[in-house]
Amino acid sequence: MEIAREWDGDVVIARLGGRLDSSAAPDAEEGLLVALGGVPPRVAIDMTGLSYISSAGLRVLLVIAKKVQQQQGKVALFGLAPNVREVFTVSGFDTIFLIAADRAAALAAVR
Amino acid sequence: MLGFVEEILLLLHNEASGDLVDLPHAVFTLVVGGAALMDLAIHNRIDTDLDHLTVVDRTPLGDDILDDALGRIAKLEAASGGQIDITEALYEAAAYAEIYRPLALKRLIARGILKEENGRHLWVFRSRRYPLIDNTEQQEVRTRLRQILLSDEIPDPRDIVLICLVDACALMRFVLSDAELTATVARVQQLRKMDLIGQAVTKSASETEAIIRFAATTL
Repeated sequence: MEIAREWDGDVVIARLGGRLDSSAAPDAEEGLLVALGGVPPRVAIDMTGLSYISSAGLRVLLVIAKKVQQQQGKVALFGLAPNVREVFTVSGFDTIFLIAADRAAALAAVR
Repeated sequence: MLGFVEEILLLLHNEASGDLVDLPHAVFTLVVGGAALMDLAIHNRIDTDLDHLTVVDRTPLGDDILDDALGRIAKLEAASGGQIDITEALYEAAAYAEIYRPLALKRLIARGILKEENGRHLWVFRSRRYPLIDNTEQQEVRTRLRQILLSDEIPDPRDIVLICLVDACALMRFVLSDAELTATVARVQQLRKMDLIGQAVTKSASETEAIIRFAATTL
């Protein structure tokens, strides 16, 4: 899985696409860790193109959230498809992550 | 690093008596089966979503417990023609918990954590106990769980598995004080949801306990 990233001021926007499952998880973790940027990291993860997430994918995001917390940074997600959002709700990951309504809200939340 | 089957056996160990703490056998098997499945997930051999469990890599890990569980889940998956339900996989692994228990105990003895003692109960019946000779690992896990449960720290995936297993066995009382148990109800509920196999273990274990309670009150 390739992680596209862009900067908006001091915020990194990392874009996930396709399926985040066990086969994509190692590359996704590596890509997101690289994308964290400066310290403290301020990251908005664009999940608009993400069609599926499994437990392995959730573990990747957990590792990223932990890393960001350890560095006193902030992370927010936006653009979750309904099926992906459901996974976050059932697994309680929506209590760990700030899930913003859109890109602008995500950027504002991590600044 | 200990596997989750060894970890939970160790946490189930009563330091004073050398026996396992009292737990319904059916719940014990679900917890051991769940521990094996969650270890396979951490090792990227299986993956889950809200509906299914899928074997994603059949490469053996060189671990007799996990390789046996992986083989059985792969067979079950093949027999069902594809993906299987998480609870179905859990009951399949749980059916072999009594095979995994002595293997895990043997490893804990080999690591110098437990020792085996053979004796007699009432001077007649043979009994076997496993007193703890090194409680470092047990204490470290309890300390780590306390740190996670009593703070807002984001847990790592291994912490979540241990919280699911400890909660399913009703072992939190050995980790937290009564006041802390009350104060952390919401935190435990939040964290135990975060592993989908863990959710199946908690649900199946509580359903089993409810059936046992119902049977006990109606017989």
